[in-house]
Amino acid sequence: MEGSEQIRRARQGEGAAWEALVREHQQAVFRFAYLLLGDPDQAEDVAQETFLRAFRALDRFDPQRPFRPWVLSIAANLARNQRRSAGRYIAALRRLVKEAPAGPASLEALASQHWEAQALWGAVRQLGFDDQQVIYYRFFLDLPVAETAQALGVAEGTVKSRLSRALERLRIVIARHYPALQEGRQA
Amino acid sequence: MTEGQMHNLETQLRAAGRAFPYPPTPDIARAVSERLQPIPSPRRGVTPAWRPALSLTIGLVLIVLLGALAIPPVRAQILEFLQIGVIRILLVEPTPTPTPLPFTPTAPAGVIDLASTSTPTPTPRPTPTPLPSLLDLGGETDLERVQRQADFPVRLPAYPPDLGRPDRVFLQDLEGQVLVMVWLDPQQPGQVWLSLHEYVGERNLTGAKVGPETVDTTTVDGQPAVWAVGPYLLELRNGDYDLVRLIEGNVLIWEEGDVTYRLETDLSLEEAVRIAESLRPLN
Repeated sequence: MEGSEQIRRARQGEGAAWEALVREHQQAVFRFAYLLLGDPDQAEDVAQETFLRAFRALDRFDPQRPFRPWVLSIAANLARNQRRSAGRYIAALRRLVKEAPAGPASLEALASQHWEAQALWGAVRQLGFDDQQVIYYRFFLDLPVAETAQALGVAEGTVKSRLSRALERLRIVIARHYPALQEGRQA
Repeated sequence: MTEGQMHNLETQLRAAGRAFPYPPTPDIARAVSERLQPIPSPRRGVTPAWRPALSLTIGLVLIVLLGALAIPPVRAQILEFLQIGVIRILLVEPTPTPTPLPFTPTAPAGVIDLASTSTPTPTPRPTPTPLPSLLDLGGETDLERVQRQADFPVRLPAYPPDLGRPDRVFLQDLEGQVLVMVWLDPQQPGQVWLSLHEYVGERNLTGAKVGPETVDTTTVDGQPAVWAVGPYLLELRNGDYDLVRLIEGNVLIWEEGDVTYRLETDLSLEEAVRIAESLRPLN
């Protein structure tokens, strides 16, 4: 089972095992947090906190279960709190003290193949948190339905119905605000 | 949506997921390991592993900001604390000779203000830096809605007589309601002239205040109050850090009933107390 030996060693206080486990999943957690928050600094904070909390709760985690959905669910909770609180101050402050704040995407980037991905992300971000979450899990992180269900803490059938509703709402957003995406899809 | 449309949208999303220009993933593993050093076994209990992490959570945020603002970083060895309502001011020991405040700690409660009494000499004033203001807060609303939603009576200052209603109103839920009312500077409409925060705090809503030049005690309507002279950094948290802001003005903190009040202003202590003592229920 994925990482169960590493988890066992990490539980025994073996730092290298824990670090290896984090390293294996840090990209998925960071990217997921970035998709939800839209800010790399906030995403990094959430990713770090996610693994710190996971470490604290390691004794309660069943090593026979996949690790990735578990840490993603922690990241989702942290990102949700971050979004609905005044957490944006942190990012705003950090942006101010940075030498090169992140600016809008360049024209070149917009003209590239990233345009559609960015635009689609913009459309997804118009949705509620729960809709975003299931879309990111399934399509951006490529989580299988079973892992998505574990990350959401729901049955697999619920994943499918939830995803269906989220996509329906996304389609409406695209039709209203991102007609170019719709044209791209029809082409 | 037809099955075909659904399929097309799914295909489009998968392609977007593959082509998405994510920022580079930072070395989270190393950062986490550093924050856990020396890595303890979770079997030894949560507290020893997490307490340092909490401090470091605060520290990491503050170090970034303190570095940028040229304020000496604080080593958070807690000596004692003041308590006004749900606001607690922790005294930390960054130097061998901290200055204790003439106040006795009371029972623990929600909001924590972490104040550095680093040295008898004033903390160097940082270079003025443009910072986001309260106007960037989420949860903007209006007084009428607040009256319907808030768990406490909304009160407004009757002094100065021409103050009127706040220009902006925010209501946030940080495991306890926080009402923030903002009056703008008539000469500079984008600038905050005065803000009044009303907290109905609960446990777990915590915060940190670092580096005020002065922390003093006073009274509002005969009740103990705290006066902190900025600039300093304020961090509020409810398990995760939620708000960090440079407070450039002065702050008066007091309690009435179940509500803890926090007034931010550039005015003097005397004027701030006068405003505090003028609060009247919103009609």
